[in-house]
Amino acid sequence: MTDSLSYGNTLRVLKDAIRVTQKRNTLISMNISNLETPNYRGKDIDFKTAMDRAMTPGQNVRLAKTDPRHIDIASDTGIDVEPDEEEGEWNGTNWVNVDHAMMKLTENSLLYRTATDLLLKKIALMKEVIREGGR
Amino acid sequence: MNFLTSLKISAMGMRAQRKRMDIIASNLANIETTRTGKGGPYRRKIVVMGTKSIENFDSVLDSQIQGPEIEAVVEDQSPFRKTYNPSHPDADENGYLLKPNIDLVVEMTSMMMARKTYEANISAMKTTRTMILKALEILK
Repeated sequence: MTDSLSYGNTLRVLKDAIRVTQKRNTLISMNISNLETPNYRGKDIDFKTAMDRAMTPGQNVRLAKTDPRHIDIASDTGIDVEPDEEEGEWNGTNWVNVDHAMMKLTENSLLYRTATDLLLKKIALMKEVIREGGR
Repeated sequence: MNFLTSLKISAMGMRAQRKRMDIIASNLANIETTRTGKGGPYRRKIVVMGTKSIENFDSVLDSQIQGPEIEAVVEDQSPFRKTYNPSHPDADENGYLLKPNIDLVVEMTSMMMARKTYEANISAMKTTRTMILKALEILK
């Protein structure tokens, strides 16, 4: 994305926030869809840890290549998917808790909304600057 | 991994529950069936749920993403219900009639579970949809 010199860090942070929430949405959807799968354990990303890692330069985990001809794998791998510790409650079939998953879905969606709204605001500000500066 | 994966997973969950509903409906419909092609009363059927990874070449690492899938439909081997009904043509020499091993309460409960899980998947899908539309707003 854009250079931090001219636009500040906002765009990059927002991009990361959107990426993490998007990925998290997939995982929460997966937990909900596996509500009835025996022995299934929910997966999740810790938003804070993922954001911390995304915002620290040089911290992105890259896969080691055993052969230089191997194709590079995108830096998207910096996000760790872990078994969800909080919903470790056995319900007779598996470890997924529906109310917990729905709550997370809503919470994550709100975070996503916040990030996109902020991004929109930032873009509107940049447009304003360009328009006024051109007068 | 993107929004389409989320939608795909929710769809897999909905499909699994719909298939499960078919089996429950079959059990409920055959609650009094005493003659089948194999002979003997109808045996209750159960679905076995498993997980299936989403095949996606451009993100091999996303193989952790697993949607539910109905792996098999098996027959419940529990004993049949025995009722005394000597006038029934399928009754044995002692007058006992074997009826399918289906419990109405059990079937109704699994039906409600299937419906709730289906609805939960729809909610997840709606949330993903809202997020996609929100992302499109950035383009405005």
